[in-house]
Amino acid sequence: MSDLERRDFCRILTGCTLLACTGGLAGCARLLDWSAGTDAGRGRVATMAANPPVVEASSTVTPSETVPAPALPDLAVYTGDDPAANVRAAVAALGGMDRFVKRGARVVIKPNVIVGRAPELATTTNPIALAAVVTMAYEAGAAQVTVLDRPTGDPRTAFEGSGIAKAVNDVDGTVKILSDRNFERFDIPKGRVLTSWPLVTDIFEADTFINMPIAKTHSMAGLTMSMKNLMGVMGGTRGTVHQDFHQKIVDLATLVQPHLVILDAYRIMIRNGPTGGSLKDVRTPKTAIAGTNMPSVDAYGATLFGKQASDLKYLVNAGAQGLGVIDLNKLDIAKGTT
Amino acid sequence: MPAEKRRWRGIHGLRHAFQWSFFALFIALLTLTVWPLGHVFLGVFLLADPLIAANSLANGVWAWPMLAALAMLLAPLVLGRAFCGYVCPTGTLIEAAAGRSTRRLGAHAREHWRKVPAFVLLGSAGLLLFASGLFLLLDPLALLTRTATVLLYPFLDRMIRLAGDVAYLAPPLRGATDFVTTALTGRLVFAVPRVYGLSVGVLGVFAGILGLNLLEPRLWCKHICPLGALLGLVGRLAPAGRRVNAEACIQCGACEQACPMDAVRDGFLATDTSRCQLCMACADACPVDAISTGLKPRTSLYSPSRRSFVAGGVLALLGGFFAFTGLSRVARNVRLIRPPGARAEKELLALCSRCGQCMKVCPTNVLQPSLSKAGLEGIFTPEMEYRIGACDWACNECGKVCPTSAIQPLELEVKRTTKIGRAYIDRNRCIPWADYKTCIVCQELCPVPDKAIVITEEEVVTPEGVTVRLQRPHVVVDRCIGCGVCEFNCPVAQESAITVRTIAE
Repeated sequence: MSDLERRDFCRILTGCTLLACTGGLAGCARLLDWSAGTDAGRGRVATMAANPPVVEASSTVTPSETVPAPALPDLAVYTGDDPAANVRAAVAALGGMDRFVKRGARVVIKPNVIVGRAPELATTTNPIALAAVVTMAYEAGAAQVTVLDRPTGDPRTAFEGSGIAKAVNDVDGTVKILSDRNFERFDIPKGRVLTSWPLVTDIFEADTFINMPIAKTHSMAGLTMSMKNLMGVMGGTRGTVHQDFHQKIVDLATLVQPHLVILDAYRIMIRNGPTGGSLKDVRTPKTAIAGTNMPSVDAYGATLFGKQASDLKYLVNAGAQGLGVIDLNKLDIAKGTT
Repeated sequence: MPAEKRRWRGIHGLRHAFQWSFFALFIALLTLTVWPLGHVFLGVFLLADPLIAANSLANGVWAWPMLAALAMLLAPLVLGRAFCGYVCPTGTLIEAAAGRSTRRLGAHAREHWRKVPAFVLLGSAGLLLFASGLFLLLDPLALLTRTATVLLYPFLDRMIRLAGDVAYLAPPLRGATDFVTTALTGRLVFAVPRVYGLSVGVLGVFAGILGLNLLEPRLWCKHICPLGALLGLVGRLAPAGRRVNAEACIQCGACEQACPMDAVRDGFLATDTSRCQLCMACADACPVDAISTGLKPRTSLYSPSRRSFVAGGVLALLGGFFAFTGLSRVARNVRLIRPPGARAEKELLALCSRCGQCMKVCPTNVLQPSLSKAGLEGIFTPEMEYRIGACDWACNECGKVCPTSAIQPLELEVKRTTKIGRAYIDRNRCIPWADYKTCIVCQELCPVPDKAIVITEEEVVTPEGVTVRLQRPHVVVDRCIGCGVCEFNCPVAQESAITVRTIAE
């Protein structure tokens, strides 16, 4: 065989190999069809990890067999000039991050990263507070802390424009930009209107799921806090969620129940939510609210806007369905300043 | 083999190294043309393109980088069309595609093809005179930028997506796949897979240009490329170039066979300096080593006869005139929305190089090549296609990458108040208006700080006679900037129930 022929042979071989690889890849993907999760039909049945996870005796708390542990508050509300100190104090009052994060745990945090706007505009979760939560999770022994959301527009501009990508990366957290393959259709057995929907699989695989919204207004929900924030784990076309909206939010909350809820109210948006964009719509309660129950946290959050839980239809529905206590008088609330 | 022959031996290796380095640089810079841009300027090839710069200057746009284009325009005085043989990334691809083909057109056909560049220039000048940048569709650098934007990057996007999907089959690889996906999202792979209209057209043009190799290698470079023709025009004046030692020449014709640019003329002794790319393939082929470079080469240039010049000129003016009187300049399509910072329609059509860099950098894919809305003349100029994406509040990159300032760079704060269109609600299709059901998506996501869409709460009676309380959206005309976030997110199937339409210029 002459040089020339060998060369041509190699060329043809390379070309065919490339074609075959491409075809193979396409075939495999077709078989899988990740986007199938967005079609209607039967979904996967799943539950969140045990809530709250059992704290092992080897943790930093010294076990005392005889003295019963002091009852932990339902909500912790801390106010002060440092957003990081507020969330630290609030989580500490709930029993510390050790209560929620076991050694070696995989932690998933869902902030609100709707679009890319500067933190001062209160459109997205405060990056300093978020970084503090990531740090606390690592301090409690987390193996991996992932921060994820599904922004409404381009995800990179949202994560970078909001300052969240940098803040999380700086404390070694992992920002995860979602793609189709991260969603799967799940059954929502207790859902009344919403009975199944494509959801981010990570939140079901995580040992600890932390919901960390920012408090803002919303023209349909009234206020968007922790319950409404969970729309960010929904895949598919979310526009249609806005019919029977208040019940669908509650339906989703019957399945997705975070282990820890931290409402960032360092800055809040009192008008033109949820995207805002003007400093005149921002108020600064400089508060962090932590709890383990979404309706309770949101019920407290409503007071920051001069509202009550009863003003928010989805909270009323949640309370009526027994998802959580929305009457603040029945809650044990630890308050403090930092 | 005589010892002296060796002095040219190395130049092909060197030339190929140059070619592929510039090609790699071109692709690397284009790949980096993504949000956020930073301060490095990536469109350097297009800025240094004398054809694009000449068009911009003729339309009264001056920018300092055009000095680079001037340098490139004058380079042929010394180097002939070395650009075509050493730098041009499109030429590199065409040459690679031709392979080792030695196919040649007949002598008669070649004499005719030889006249083409003059008329390409005449035609370009005609369009330029009548303020139409349409001829830049054939500019090799704009052409390659456009082809890569429309074909290469969407292809890479899908390949990376597929590879990720397959890797995801193996659970141990999932973490790594997610990591890579996150790192590449918005750079090579996109949240919504990249799509561009006109991709078949772009593929057809590019395949056609490569396919001309079948007639004769580099036929396009030699005879059709308008940038090559322009550089050749300057090359006519070249005081230096290929020289043949007439006494040594044995008239074997090996140089003419070897010349990839048809530059060997008149019994092999003269050079068409408007074509010679100084690749020295002729010197390599010469069995008696009669070819060298030096001052005052014997030249043989094509000059159109007065008659054909006049005829060509009249045709070019007619062509330009038809572009000038195109219907697109009379009635503007109401759905033709230009990106923020775009100049007035007439100026945009004159200036736009149709390179597609704005579409490459756009993070949301909303910038699309125009097919028919801007008329024949506006083909491949950028327009907003809001069902594919929406203008991102955090981005103003299209103006920054535009090599001709057909889209002018705007500060973010200015861009956010620049009206490019106005949204209209179609009450016959909008969910709260037509279906009496709840929906606030357009208002919810409107990025304008005070919301260009407001919601009124009304008590309405449905066709079934039930009284319901409904929130219904209205556009506030003075606030709407036409970014299209509402049209992109509207949950009504297929055509949105809120659409952005053009406003008076």
